[in-house]
Amino acid sequence: MSDAQPTTSSVAIAVAAARTEGARKVYGRGDTEVAALDGVTVAFEKGRFTAIMGPSGSGKSTLLHCIAGLDTLTEGQAFIGDVELSALSDKSLTELRRDRVGFVFQAYNLIPTLTAIENITLPSSLAGRSADAEWLDSVITTFGLGDRLTHRPSELSGGQQQRVAVARALAGQPDIIFADEPTGNLDSRAGAEILGFMRRAVSDLSQTIVMVTHDPVAASYADRVVFLADGRIVDDMSEPTAERVLDRMKRFGD
Amino acid sequence: MFKVTLKTLRARKFRLISTGFAVVLGIGFLAGTLVLTSTISSTFDSLFADAFKGVDAAVRGEKVFEGDATQGQEDARSPVPVSAVATVAAVDGVAVASGYIETNYAQLVGADGEPVGSQNSGTYGANWLGDTPLNSYTLDAGRGPEADDEIVLDRGGARDGGVGVGDQVTVLNALGSETYTVVGIAAFGDEDTAGGRHYIFFTDEQARVLANQPDAYDSILAAADDGVSQSELRDRIAEVVPSGTEVITGAELTEESQSEIKNALSIFNTFLVVFAVIALLVGSFIIYNTFSILVAQRTRELALLRALGASRGQVRSSVLLEALVVGIVASAVGIVAGVGLSILLKAALSGFGLDLPASGVVLTSDTVVTCMIAGVVVCLASALFPARRASKVPPVAAMSGLLVEDSASSPGRIVAGVLVLLFGAWNLFLGLSGRAGDGSLGAVGLGAAIVFIGVAMLGPVFARPISAFIGWPLPRLRGISGTLARENAMRNPRRTSTTASALMIGVGLVILITILVSSLKASINTTIDNTFKADFTITTDSFTGGLSPDLTRQLNELPEVAAATGIRAVSAQVDEQGGGRSLYAVDPVAFQEVWSLDVTSGSLDDLGTNGVAIDSNLGSDKDLAVGDTLTLTFAETGTQTFTVEAIFDSDSGLFTQYLISLESVETYTSNVLDAQIVVKSADGVPAADARAAIESVTDAYPTADVLDQADYKESLAAQLNQLLALVIVLLLLAVIIALFGIANTLSLSIHERTRELGLLRAVGMTRAQLRSTVRWESVIISMLGVFLGLIIGLIFGWLAVLALEDQGLSDFRVPFGQLALVVVLGAVAGVAAAILPARRASRLDVLDAIAAD
Repeated sequence: MSDAQPTTSSVAIAVAAARTEGARKVYGRGDTEVAALDGVTVAFEKGRFTAIMGPSGSGKSTLLHCIAGLDTLTEGQAFIGDVELSALSDKSLTELRRDRVGFVFQAYNLIPTLTAIENITLPSSLAGRSADAEWLDSVITTFGLGDRLTHRPSELSGGQQQRVAVARALAGQPDIIFADEPTGNLDSRAGAEILGFMRRAVSDLSQTIVMVTHDPVAASYADRVVFLADGRIVDDMSEPTAERVLDRMKRFGD
Repeated sequence: MFKVTLKTLRARKFRLISTGFAVVLGIGFLAGTLVLTSTISSTFDSLFADAFKGVDAAVRGEKVFEGDATQGQEDARSPVPVSAVATVAAVDGVAVASGYIETNYAQLVGADGEPVGSQNSGTYGANWLGDTPLNSYTLDAGRGPEADDEIVLDRGGARDGGVGVGDQVTVLNALGSETYTVVGIAAFGDEDTAGGRHYIFFTDEQARVLANQPDAYDSILAAADDGVSQSELRDRIAEVVPSGTEVITGAELTEESQSEIKNALSIFNTFLVVFAVIALLVGSFIIYNTFSILVAQRTRELALLRALGASRGQVRSSVLLEALVVGIVASAVGIVAGVGLSILLKAALSGFGLDLPASGVVLTSDTVVTCMIAGVVVCLASALFPARRASKVPPVAAMSGLLVEDSASSPGRIVAGVLVLLFGAWNLFLGLSGRAGDGSLGAVGLGAAIVFIGVAMLGPVFARPISAFIGWPLPRLRGISGTLARENAMRNPRRTSTTASALMIGVGLVILITILVSSLKASINTTIDNTFKADFTITTDSFTGGLSPDLTRQLNELPEVAAATGIRAVSAQVDEQGGGRSLYAVDPVAFQEVWSLDVTSGSLDDLGTNGVAIDSNLGSDKDLAVGDTLTLTFAETGTQTFTVEAIFDSDSGLFTQYLISLESVETYTSNVLDAQIVVKSADGVPAADARAAIESVTDAYPTADVLDQADYKESLAAQLNQLLALVIVLLLLAVIIALFGIANTLSLSIHERTRELGLLRAVGMTRAQLRSTVRWESVIISMLGVFLGLIIGLIFGWLAVLALEDQGLSDFRVPFGQLALVVVLGAVAGVAAAILPARRASRLDVLDAIAAD
């Protein structure tokens, strides 16, 4: 197992779906100042499934929020494609999220008053567009949701709800999908199912996914794992397996 | 446990304030009303105390019959003969005695040709009591009147009229439009007028002539010698006065006058308190709703308390304690606000032509106690059901956090709602059909309130389908924002319907009063079209007084006039039973020219001095036919026997059941003033010429308005519109409280949906779209309220018109234009109510929202 290697080659930047440059995020002031991100420069290549891992408080969720445009950096820059996020107004940022980014959260991913299909097409509805029907069909078919489309979230199991959430993230053919502990609330079987779908979305449908997780098994579905500790990138692993990830994680305790 | 409650309360100050606001407004209005009435009352108290300061005893006629207190009528008393003054003056211990007489028609015309005084009171006339302790006025300048064409003005009248000592002024009175010389200016204590009422003082003889009682006074006032007590004086005088009179002390006179005013004020007070009660009813819906939502949101916390060992009773009292604190704080704030509101209220009422004397602000302990109790009771009663629900939260809910809300359309709710609705309808029926007797009005009010509550109870059952219906076009018009707004309005039917019900009350009542007024206008127009043959009506704006009979005399001399008659309203007791009834006196021959009176038997031509024409309903009620007799008792002349000469159809559009001739009135009463004059122009005279001729006569009377039929209808409609506007302004309070309720519910819902809103923002909903979602949800709720109010208002309106049919309300009119306006305003109000909650929702930080638990 290799140690940390520089991955931000110029080639990678050219094809990055999202990236940061010297990202710093500081909470509090003076004595109570805590840097959640302390100079993170990372790029996420198109068409790949990247997992971000790290112990609690390592800044992995903060990194995700900042690249996704949900939170702002104290210093440095974050890009979706070639758009620098700090330059955007709230409205442009909202539209960028709507049109170019997909989200999957740990829980409460769906609007309870909308049916599954309405939830899936929510971003395009918000944009006042209709989703690409052919693409939508293939997503729905891939996720096996055909017979659940008119159900409300309360009529779906946790796994089904999360499938709808991933389908929603995919439906708009975004540049990149961010997933924050998408399996955290699921039992292992449903979790494996969701991860399988996410894997297929990348492999078969050429999507780009960045996922924060603390579960080595979940991380093993990714093409690459970026390890964070104390707000810094400490390792970067390609073609991970659950064992290798677990080994690497154990070393954080040292 | 109490500590926990109080800590929770402190932690949610904002919620407390917005919840309490509904109560603050209602209590504020109640306190404002009570403060205003006690201020007016205390103003009058000191006024009468000042006016009768020097009076130790008063002699007056015995009561002949009771006046109708609801019409502000005083009891009818016989006058006291002039000769009695000397008798009283001669009594040992009387320092000075003087007759006193007043007339309510002595209208001063100012230097600018305009009548002096406020629109509804004008100026009054009385005799000058000279430089005696009996006179509460003192001369500022000049002297008292010595000749019949000399007068003293109060300082207010002189100032408003722009006249001074030595000026010639015109006074409209029973004699006509007369000229007097101002010889003195007097002040009431330090004041310009006695509580805003203007007086003109005449010589004793002139005052009696103007009151049409040349040989009598209203009363005799006496002051005692030093060392003679009031009761002693009263008893001594009582021994010598003629029969038919009674003597009271000055203190009794003061007290009686004060209590008469209090009675009159209590009607006014009740009128305003009704609106305060409506506001509180609306407020209670909001308190109920807020507490229900809070209990639902705090399920987990309450369950934790239960799991940690709190008993059901403790949980219940913690909710009630919270309500108690809200009640106490809100009532206290309401009382303070009420003091300010009383000043606004006074200004608003005077804007509607109701000028009231009130100086200072009188906050009595009664007011404070009443408001405190009302506020606390409303809060506690409204929180009762939510508290019960809170006590039923099972400890296990601490783990799951789920509270199974009892279903919106449970059979129990439907049965209870229907029962309440029926009970309300039954009360309404009792009241409207008059079966509840004197309590009819109360039964109608109670019935209406219960119906509102019943509808609110059933609300959750139909809130979903109606919201779905109202919001139906939204998804198409507003896309996903519209869809979400509609779904949000439908997701908590109970919340939506209770919030909407609060608005329903105000809207329903506005619709009801609008229908009543339109129906009344339509009925009046129908009556005028059917019965009114006159070309012109002459009326006066002045609330008191009337028109000099001299006018009718002059009009009848005009070649352009075919017939003119004054209509004089007099009060008399019928068959020596009950209180005073309103009779109309007319010139029977001229009257038939101007009014199509459908005489079913007998003839109006020969009413004479002792003839009466009666309404057909009265004829059948009392089993009277032409030729039968009845007695009429007048204050001045006692009981007289009248023969029924004619019976006219009750649909003749007269607001009385008795018609007598002007001759009778002149013979048996001192009333010489016409309330109205109706004129038919001669054939072939163009309207413009006729009007010009009539105005040449009325020009000398600035209070007289010449109206043709269209003007007349318009002037009646204008009066009704003023009433309508006043009632709507007062109901607006209930509507405003309901809008606060909508805003409050939306805020609570938004708080509850924080995570959901965060998700929407995360996946790309713009702030504008989020605001739009909240706004449209608000519009759906308000439209639901308007819709329910519309239905109830229409039903109530229809029932009320049906019930009042006997009283001349013949036409049921639905003012579609105004109803459409209410709907539009309801939607606008919904948008307005959503402004703050929508802003709050759109400002939610996305990250905080999705991280919120």
